[in-house]
Amino acid sequence: MAVGDLRVGAAVPRPGLRFRELLDHERFLGPAFVTPALLLIGLLVAYPFCMALYMALSNAYIGRPSHFVGLQNFVALWESDAFRQTFQNGFVFTGAAVACKLVLGIALALLLNQQLWFKRLIRGAVLLPWVIPTALSTLGWWWMFNSLYSVVNWTGIALGLMDPPGPNWLGQKYHAMAAVVTVNVWRGLPFFAITILAGLVSIPKELYEAAEADGAGAVSRFWHVTLPLLKPVLAIVVLFSTIFTFSDFNIVYILTHGGPINSTHLFATLARQIGFESGQLGQGAAISLYLFPVLVFVVWIQLKFVRRQAY
Amino acid sequence: MDRPTRREFATTTLAGLAGILAAGVPPARGQQREISYLCWNNFAPASDKKLAEIGQRFAKDTGIKIKIDHINAEQQAAKYASEVQVQGGHDLVEMRMHFPWLYEPQLVDVSDLVGELEKKYGKTLSSAEETAKVKGVWRAVPQYHTFFVACYREDLFKKAGLKIPDTWEDLYTVGKELKKMGHPVGIPISQNYDTISTAGPVLWSLGGMEVDKDGKTVRINGPATEQMLEWYRKVYRDCMEPEVLSWDNAANNNSLNAGKAGWIHNPVSAYIVARNRKMVTADGINHHKSLAGPKGRHETDVPRHIGIWKFSKNVEPAKEWIRYLLGKKDVLDEYIMSGDAFNLPVYGNLQDHPVLKTDPKFAALRQEGVQFHCYGWPAPPSDKVQRITNEWVLPNMIAKAVTGTSNKDAMAWAEKEMKRIMAG
Amino acid sequence: MAVKRRPLAGKILLHLGLVPFLVFALFPFYHMAMTSLKTDREMYDRAAVPLLIRQGPTLEHYQKLIWETGFLTWTWNSLLVTVLATTVSVAIGTVAAYALARLKFFGVGTFGTGIFVTYLVPTSLLFLPLAQVVNWIGLADSKWALVVTYPTFLVPFCTWLLMGYFRTVPKEVEECAMVDGATRVQALTRIVLPIAVPGLVCAVLFAFTLSWNEFIYALTFTSSSDQITASVGVTGELIRGDIYFWGGLMAGAMLASVPIVLLYVFFLDYYVSGLTAGAVK
Repeated sequence: MAVGDLRVGAAVPRPGLRFRELLDHERFLGPAFVTPALLLIGLLVAYPFCMALYMALSNAYIGRPSHFVGLQNFVALWESDAFRQTFQNGFVFTGAAVACKLVLGIALALLLNQQLWFKRLIRGAVLLPWVIPTALSTLGWWWMFNSLYSVVNWTGIALGLMDPPGPNWLGQKYHAMAAVVTVNVWRGLPFFAITILAGLVSIPKELYEAAEADGAGAVSRFWHVTLPLLKPVLAIVVLFSTIFTFSDFNIVYILTHGGPINSTHLFATLARQIGFESGQLGQGAAISLYLFPVLVFVVWIQLKFVRRQAY
Repeated sequence: MDRPTRREFATTTLAGLAGILAAGVPPARGQQREISYLCWNNFAPASDKKLAEIGQRFAKDTGIKIKIDHINAEQQAAKYASEVQVQGGHDLVEMRMHFPWLYEPQLVDVSDLVGELEKKYGKTLSSAEETAKVKGVWRAVPQYHTFFVACYREDLFKKAGLKIPDTWEDLYTVGKELKKMGHPVGIPISQNYDTISTAGPVLWSLGGMEVDKDGKTVRINGPATEQMLEWYRKVYRDCMEPEVLSWDNAANNNSLNAGKAGWIHNPVSAYIVARNRKMVTADGINHHKSLAGPKGRHETDVPRHIGIWKFSKNVEPAKEWIRYLLGKKDVLDEYIMSGDAFNLPVYGNLQDHPVLKTDPKFAALRQEGVQFHCYGWPAPPSDKVQRITNEWVLPNMIAKAVTGTSNKDAMAWAEKEMKRIMAG
Repeated sequence: MAVKRRPLAGKILLHLGLVPFLVFALFPFYHMAMTSLKTDREMYDRAAVPLLIRQGPTLEHYQKLIWETGFLTWTWNSLLVTVLATTVSVAIGTVAAYALARLKFFGVGTFGTGIFVTYLVPTSLLFLPLAQVVNWIGLADSKWALVVTYPTFLVPFCTWLLMGYFRTVPKEVEECAMVDGATRVQALTRIVLPIAVPGLVCAVLFAFTLSWNEFIYALTFTSSSDQITASVGVTGELIRGDIYFWGGLMAGAMLASVPIVLLYVFFLDYYVSGLTAGAVK
């Protein structure tokens, strides 16, 4: 406070200097620095969010005037097979994907935490799927799961694991869900692995040595030393991943477009199909808003947790 | 020389003003008018190049500059809706199939243009008229169409001494042999447009329909539908493999081109891809005329038209473009030739087009005596009828029937769904 | 000697354990690259081996992609949008982060939380109403719509990332400078920023990557072939009806990833530290 008020070195107050004094004043500078971000968020995040609420409660249709209809959209959605299936898909997809990423992420992080040859190269290779644009890498997977030319099937048949011609991955209900979960895990695993690795690195070696001195084996050390100390990092990573996986769009849109028969539709892809491609903005907005409760839950837990961390 | 008198000056000015006000458009400044045309990404990329060329010649010949933009077919509906919402965008837009019905209030009446073209080239095909003429008024100008046709492995047929089928019943007979040979028939039964594109003609050829001509009465629960379901059951059981239940739009092309399927129902795209990619099967693929049933020879059609938005400020120059592209026979011929038989003429007198002679495999695309319709025929293509198509009622009904549901139950389900959609 | 042999065996086992992960991570890229160099004839031949090129590689897919489609236009659009959005976002984020990390003023805590929450709001929640907003301000079907809307998710991330870095700059250095007569702004630009350069580089890299990889806004706010970005173009325009140009799709996927791969190769450590910054700091 005092620093900002000091006018060291200024002899004669000049008109231009007044503005610069203001700039030095925290109470003015702070809001000034924060205003551009505030404006951006207010106009292009908060306002559209309110619009989404209004649209969900109206019969908005592209190109036509809209009228308030209350909860009609939400009721209509629950009566639609496509939406009920999407609702289920959201939880199945998120649950399966996050679980896989967690387990595989911990495993990979443990491996990466050791003394390795070519450590930098390996880390770089592992992180690659996360960095490449998802929409483009999913094209590669699309070709890999192609009904006639799938390399997955070719390999499976060559190794004797499948009967020719192998399943039509993207054309059958459960196979399609397995395919999109696989691609999501492929894309998201690096995030888990690298972040958990950072957590592992910060665990003091003395704790391991003490445990070893007490006679604990490798598994016991992992269970009683590593995991408890990793909990904060794991919590953060899982919570982030939950919201991003739940609201995923790119993978399903490109791989299956929601099919076959809505068995891989997520909230984001169904919202686009109904709200944008069919023009029924009201229903589309209502579908998108189902992402909101999950967001609230994640944020609430994060804030509770982050606050606990800070104090 | 003499300066005009005040009266002369006033009269001329007033006359000029009156003329301008009457025309409703501000005077063109120095003859440089500019229009814009939003077109789809043609299946034949060479056609888009030719269109750009024609656009440049048009600018030179008429002084009207034209900017041609392209958009993917899937993005069209959303893009058009947003142009309507903003009341701005392009002057001319490509209207595919039933779009003129969806955007009728926003499209300029082009009956005069179509009249000129029909006088020159003969009446348009029924499918073009059904989709571009909305309630008696032409809202878009038909330009060309792509249709479905029977694509088959001629070499396999010759080897086994099989007769080329003429009716859907013939296809069942031939299909049984094909499946025994390891080259089954490939008709998808899943949620995609290829499924509807086959189910439609089968149903129509038996005299059946989804919704009647009046656009209101649901007629799916009837004897013709039952016959269609019986046909699909036996073809699925004896001529096809279960994989067709999980096919997408490209799967039947791939199956034919990769050498598996012996007969598919598809536009000419399958053969053209095989030929251009020099695939092993290309030489063996040929086409034959669409199949018939007791109530006629019907086929699915995808006509494409050009419409002019009412909010455009350049309606007259836009009409000039249509007159240039479609009205001048040499330009139209050039444009059609660049399309590699993907896009064929849609006017009566042009059906024997030279493009069909560029490849012997195109001969059957002549399709004499075939009646072309769009999805939902004979009901007028309102947005409710289109929702029946877009919500896959027909494919779902057939899928239910071939996987165990009784015909009665399947038809009752379809009727319930269609009635729900028609009720809004 | 038994003691020396065991650690070596252990090490080899360790690396073997990594092999499945490496194959899983890298195989799709290998396959995409192979396919993009295969002739059509071999690609669509069911009897051919998909893992190798036996009938001779070809550059025709790349040539067709570059010369016969709008790929160069799409890439230029992506580049323009990304560079502008990144610049704007890092600028806004830097000043906001400095304010939140250093200054005390009314609402600083709330605003900090607000930034964090905004980062978590998914783009798939906002894309429908934002499409309407974009139409209203006259940017429908235009890449400028992306320049305007990308900062909505880039700014929160940059702010948050930079806050962490600014906090690590010791307060004393700034206070010394201000005692010597520097203003707050001068302290920011001449003292704090140079120390926090790694943070800035990180922010720029992530903003660039997130922006280049963005898909749903680009797909919704642009549709004409000359306005779309690289991802939208490659995934949309190389499929015409029922004809999939797989060679072009794979070539496009590879080429459109090149800028990111280049940045990644040169700045790998920054990516790693940026990833962990949010979680561990």
